[in-house]
This record gives sequence, C-alpha cells and structure tokens, in this order.
Amino acid sequence: MSRENLRVVGRGIAKVDGPELVTGQAKFTGDLKFPGMLYGVARRAGIPAGRIRSIDDSEALGLPGVRAVLSAEDIPGPNIIGILPPFDQPVLASEEVRYEGESLALVVAESREAAKRAAAAVRVDIDPWEPILDIDAALKPDSRKIHPGGNITFSKKLIKGDVEKGFAEAEVVVENTYQTSFQEHAYLEPETVAAVPGGDGRITVYASCQSPFHIRGHIAANLNLPASRVKVVQAYTGGSFGGKDDVATEIGCLAAVAAVKLQKPVMIAHERGESIIGSNLRHAARIHYRTGSLKDGTILAREARIFLDGGAYASESPFVTMKALIHAAGPYNIPNVLVECTAVYTNKTYCGAFRGFGVPQVTFASESQLDELAAELNMDPLELRRNNGLQAGQATATGQVLEKSVGLLQTIDRIAERRGQASRAAPDEERWLYGRGCACLLQGISNGAEGIDVVGASVQVSQDGSVLVGVGLTDMGQGSRTVFAQIAAEVLGVTVDRITVPHVDTDSVHDSGPTVASRSTTVGGMAVYKAAGAVKASLVKMAVLMLNCGEEQVRLEENFAVRTDNPEARISLQEVATAAYWTGFPLMHLTFSRAPDAQFDHETHQGNIYIAYNFGTHLMDVRIDRLTGRVEVLRHLAAHDIGQAVNPLGVEGQVEGAALIGFGMAHLERIEHEGGCIQNANFADYAVPSIKDRLPTETIIVEDPNPTGPFGAKGIGEPPVAGTAAAFANAVAAATGVRFTRLPIRREDILAALEEQ
Amino acid sequence: MLLEFELNGKQTRVEVEPTLRALDLLREVLGLTGTKEGCGRGECGACTILVDGEPVNSCLLYAAKLQGRKITTIEGLTAEDGAKELHPLQEAFISEGAVQCGFCTPGMILSAKSLLDRNPEPDVQAIEEALSGNLCRCTGYGKIVKAVQKAAAGGGPGAGGSARSGGSG
Repeated sequence: MSRENLRVVGRGIAKVDGPELVTGQAKFTGDLKFPGMLYGVARRAGIPAGRIRSIDDSEALGLPGVRAVLSAEDIPGPNIIGILPPFDQPVLASEEVRYEGESLALVVAESREAAKRAAAAVRVDIDPWEPILDIDAALKPDSRKIHPGGNITFSKKLIKGDVEKGFAEAEVVVENTYQTSFQEHAYLEPETVAAVPGGDGRITVYASCQSPFHIRGHIAANLNLPASRVKVVQAYTGGSFGGKDDVATEIGCLAAVAAVKLQKPVMIAHERGESIIGSNLRHAARIHYRTGSLKDGTILAREARIFLDGGAYASESPFVTMKALIHAAGPYNIPNVLVECTAVYTNKTYCGAFRGFGVPQVTFASESQLDELAAELNMDPLELRRNNGLQAGQATATGQVLEKSVGLLQTIDRIAERRGQASRAAPDEERWLYGRGCACLLQGISNGAEGIDVVGASVQVSQDGSVLVGVGLTDMGQGSRTVFAQIAAEVLGVTVDRITVPHVDTDSVHDSGPTVASRSTTVGGMAVYKAAGAVKASLVKMAVLMLNCGEEQVRLEENFAVRTDNPEARISLQEVATAAYWTGFPLMHLTFSRAPDAQFDHETHQGNIYIAYNFGTHLMDVRIDRLTGRVEVLRHLAAHDIGQAVNPLGVEGQVEGAALIGFGMAHLERIEHEGGCIQNANFADYAVPSIKDRLPTETIIVEDPNPTGPFGAKGIGEPPVAGTAAAFANAVAAATGVRFTRLPIRREDILAALEEQ
Repeated sequence: MLLEFELNGKQTRVEVEPTLRALDLLREVLGLTGTKEGCGRGECGACTILVDGEPVNSCLLYAAKLQGRKITTIEGLTAEDGAKELHPLQEAFISEGAVQCGFCTPGMILSAKSLLDRNPEPDVQAIEEALSGNLCRCTGYGKIVKAVQKAAAGGGPGAGGSARSGGSG
C-alpha cells in the first residue's frame, strides 16, 4: 500500500456532510416527524437506593393527552440491557432502585409536555436504603450488595517481570495517590430516539447513537422479536464521545416497546438534566502509584493500584478496567510492572465509555509521577521521558513487542524542537506565576483485549461511475464518513464529490461492532480499502479491454481510466462502469477487515493486545494569577504519531476537540453529588468549556506508518484527552510548586493552595 | 393569538397559543428544524435565532414576543429561491473545519452573523464575546474563530450582512 503518489488521502478536505450541517437541513432524530407520533417521558426514581414497594399510575393515566403508562411487566423480553457481561441494567426497574436516574415507568402522551406532567404524577413508593456512595463504602466486607455478585464489577491484574525486585534495585522511588472526578460528555444534542412500527411486523428505530447494531440486538431481545425484524437507522448524531451507547439502548428499547404496544410512532427525547443524570459518565478514579528508577533516570519498576467508581451498572466498566490496566505504565520501556485495577458499583449514575476510556485517568497519575521523579532526579522532564520512551522492537507493559509504528520519540523530538524558551515572569511582574508541563501517552487502537475486531464494508459503483460506500461504523461528528470517502476515492480514482457514505442503517450494512476505541479509520478504513480494491479490479479489467492494453498500463484517476503510457488515451469511469455492468463484471463487493486477534494471558495481561498504538507528547505553558487562581494557557503543543493522516484538517479537529475535553476534565468539570444525587445537572452549574476557555492548541502530526491501517493510518479520536489533562496538571505544578493530586484542579483549588503556601 | 412577523424575509401569519415557546413555533409549527434545542434553559445557545438582528435564545422566548419583529433562522441564510449559494459564514465554517457534529452550528453561525452585521472586522476578543453563549463540545472552538475571521476578511465590510436573508440586512 504505497504512500507515495497519494492524491486524496493526506489532503485536508472539508467534511462531506458540511453543507447540510451549516444550512440546518441535516435531520437529527428530534427533527423527524411521523404521523400520529406520541412522546415518552420516564418517571425516574429521584433517590439513589431503595426497595420499590409500588408504582401507581392511576392519576397519571387520567391526565389529558396520556395514552399509556408502561412499567416493567409491559416489556415482553427479559427487561435487561448492558454493553457486555454482566448485563445488569433493567430497562424499567421494578424491584430495586440503584441510582437516582433509574427509570421506573414510561409515560406516553400526545405531547412532550403532557408526558412530562404525567410522569411527575406517577406515584412511586420506595423504601429508601442508605446509599453506597464511594469506593471504600462499596468495598467494605459487610456492605450491602448493590448487585447479587457483590460490589466489585471487575478486577484484573497486569504482571510483567518482578516488581519487588525492580524496586529493590531502584535508587530513587516516588509514590503518590491521585484522584479524578466524574465527567459528563455534554454533547450538544441530548439523547433522542423515535420508534416507528412498520405495520409489517417490523419496527424501525431512528436514533442519535454510536453503535446501532448493539441497539438493534437489545431492542429485538426486549421485544421478543427476531433481530431481522428490527431496523435501526442512525440519524445525524449531535456528538457522542462514548456516551450514546447504553442510554440509546435504554430509550430505544422503551420507545420500541411503547410503539409496538400502541402501534404508533413514539419519540423519546431527553432533556439536558436527564441527559446528565440518566446516562453514563466518565469513571471517577483513585490511583496509587509507585515508580522506581536508577539515579540516571532509568525506570526499573512501576506499580499502580487503580480503583474506578463505576456507579450503579456495569456498562463498560469491565473494558475500562482493562484499558486503564494496560495503559497505566505509560509509553515507556519498563521491565517490571504490576498494576491492579478494580471497578466497583456505587449508588450513583453509572459510568462507561467516554473518549479516552480509562486512559486519561491513569495518564494524569502516571505523568504526574514522571514529573515527581524528574524533580527528585533533578532532570529535564522531557529528557527523562525520552530516555525511557518506548521504541520499535521494545516491549509494552503487556510484553507486546511493537516492531513498527512506534513514533513516541519522534513526538518528543518534535516537541523539543518547537518548545522554545518557557515564558517567565518579568522582573516587575509579581502577579503571575509561569510554568511549563509536558506529558507523554499511548493509546491502544482497535478493540484489542475487548474482543474480536471485524468491520465489513461494501463498495458499490453505479453505471454512472459514482460510488456508494457502506460501513457499519457511525459518524457522530468526528468525520469518518469523509475519511471513508477519501479512502474509496484514493483506491478507485473517483473524486470525493462522486462518493456517498450514508449513515448506518442496520438493514444495509454489515454489523461492524461498536464505533469505539479510535478504530474507525484503522479497521473500518481498511475494510473500505479492501472492498474498493475488489471493485477496482472489475473496473480495471473492463478498462483493459476498452483501452486495449495490459493491466499495469491502466490507472484510475479523477473519474477516468487512463493509459499510463499514453495519458491521451482515457475513458470516463462512467463508460467503464456501464460497460462493466453490461459485461457482467461485479460492481459491488462486501469485504471484511479483521484485526489480528488479541492473544494474552488473562491473569497477567501479558501478550499481544492492540494492533497499533497512537503515541503522543503534549507540552503546555501556563501562567497563573496569584490573586485569583486563574490559569491562562499560553501555549499547547500536541504531537501525535498517527501513522498517516488521511484528512489533516479532520485530524486537527479531533486533536483540538479532544484537547478541550481533556482541559475540561483537568481544570473545569466535575459532577457534584450530594447524598448520591447530582447537584449540577445543567450547563449553568456544570462548567462545559466555552469559547473563552479554548486552548491555543497546535497539532503536530508525526507519521510513522502503521502496517495494519489503510495507507499506514492510525486513529486519533481519543488520545489527546489524556495528553492535555496530564500536561495541564504538570504545568500547574511547575507554576505553583504545588503538586495537585486531584482533577479537576480548579481556580479555587489553586487559590487555596497558594494561600496556604 | 394571531402572530404576524417577518420570517427569513417573508411575512408570516400564524395562529398560536400565547404560551408557546418561539423555539417550538419554529420547529413544531413552522417546520424549521434547523434551530436546535440543547438545554431548554438558555445555557447552550443551540436554539439561537436573530430577532431584529440580535441573537436570542429561542427556548427562553415566548412566541408572542415575535409579534412585528424580523426573525432570521439558519434557513434564512441561504437564498430562498433554492439556489445553492451559501452565506460566507457557512462557506467558512465548512472550509475551516469549524463543523463536527453540527448541532451547535446553526446557532453559532447566527451569533456570528449578528456580530459581523454590527462589526464587519471584529478582533478575536469581539468574536469570543459574541460567541460566548454558544457551546460547542466537538471542535475546541479554534476553528470556529478562524471561520468567523475568514468570513469577515473574505467578504470585506458587510460580509455578514447578506441582504438575502432579510433578517437584518
């Protein structure tokens, strides 16, 4: 797969769906209208724990416009959802309340307002229990069990080498405990679904979602229908970042059950408060680290004990546990590593996937340790990282030897070249404290330890030479439709404007697993590459006959088949495709890309896990106002090895967007609980970064080609979250001389620490 | 009550409940779904429309308040005759990569239009001020600032004041 002579891949192009998005013509789920449509609103528990005694819908049913009130017994199937085992979340709870957002009943009415009023009128009698609210309370041996199996959701170890021996040989050891807080996705479009009964025994569910096949499976199961009777169509999706899996499944099932029961279209559209309380968050974490090195900075051993507060349901906790575990040692060549990671249940909003998936939490802690070690050693922090940085041919913490595409040192060197002198206070400038922080990271690409990773893509060329690409992975704004179009364009010699990549419709594309793990470009892109290649073979075969030459003399470019030895001799792809059709050459292929399976020991997590890693280095310069604690970010460099940029404009967008989410996590955002109930479920009290908080992020693209990705590409969606959060913490520590061990480090935290000094 | 107002350059008469939100009038009654609801509390800006050229959160506005006013929604930025020409801001948002999921985009573009109509050559601080009520979770905002600067520079003075929309031209 040559990277030379690329015509489309590697060029920054505008999103293929830009025009409909800037004109307001793109239809998000809430923009859809169906005749006779009804609206569903859930009655939620409102308290974090208790035994449900009764649910009384008599008053609600009598209110104007109300058509039905559904409870658990109205669900034909098992009334269970979840991302992976243990599937432990009821669609509607009937026995136990495990968090405040628990849905107990669904009111269906002629308008959203009527449904909302009636939901408030559903009387629920709950015998409250003392909620279990933190990790320690959950782990107490005599603690009430939130689920029958106890309060440990998942617990795993990673063991490489002999960590005790490593620490015994170490000359310098640093040790600390770090914490991170719950973070909300805060996509601008709240979760919305619309279920439309077909009258033919089928049901179609339009959804703002991330993984349509996952939703289809759960809807079919809870309706007791074959999956082939359920069609899920992803509408334009207003952001997801990991957040529209569980919740889209929950409301997708609810709307579908109501629609089938009433034989009417039913829409459920969350309000912002429900979106925050009733859908997953990023796990809060408590992480204890120990790092030991020689006096020259060679790291010999790392030990991490990680606890994740996963809230009421398992959701993605098992996989987040594994991802945190695998990434805890950082992008370094360390012979001895021991990591334990445990996710627990508590009576709070459940936690699951959120851009970064456990990596931002451990990277913040791990990179804080690196700076603490650098300080002990009196060494330049970037140099310490470079001296220990993973290189091709060395083994990760899982013992996986990466032979290629290990661009960490290149990202460090690019940062070192660009960093220049750190800003310092002028002699008369007493108000500002200046500091510089850096951080390195790695982030596994593909499902890896989470299971098989297969994407099916179809490529179809019409007689007019235009191309339809079908991939079972969703574009939630990140730009994967554009990337897939570019890859197909590159292979087929068709211009991007003649390529269409529709949203996922489960009737028309192959189940390609969840759209997660920064895998779309790498694994999905490879499937498109292969399918396009198969169709290209038909076009070339036809062109050979028409141009009367050998196969090697035909090139497809700019919607033409051209003879390489005589560029004058060319035929439009429309003519070639039409001729191919009438000759009977296949013009559509469904092809699969399968990432090499992860192979590892489940007790020690030693083995080959991810097909590639994204490596990155971030540098941040800040100044802090002594009087107010306000932090100004003066500089933010973000270098990532992404193998090959398919769309550099899109890459910058991913880096800048992820960076601000990392900055929010590190500085601004914290879900506040009191007695298990979220206190800031709105955008006035929960501080989503505004345009005034934006970062001066400069994206530095490093391309160390990845043999497992199309044209050498690797994913970039998640990694900058971790790098930004960790670099911010280190920059604030450098400026203030105070090591903050808890994220977010807010203005008031900084001010309090400075006053204490 | 009977409402009469100018909507995207066209006189509009519609009978509404006085307690209806302007957002619901536009989306549910008039079918202009380009205006989005992100929070329903005036905290995110996704529902921004222009009322006599000023950006307003339509989720906080009673429909009755539109009486006699000139209203511009995102649908009013492109030519009404079905031509494909985009407003310079729309072009710039696409070419600069200032759109990802696009849910905040209509409101963001309208706030930017109001700014450029008042101040054709805004500095960065003016852009920040004008867009500080519009949240975006995807882009990190850098490319949005660039897009507004590009639209301002590209069209020269008055670039944002496309008379086509009739909203505030």
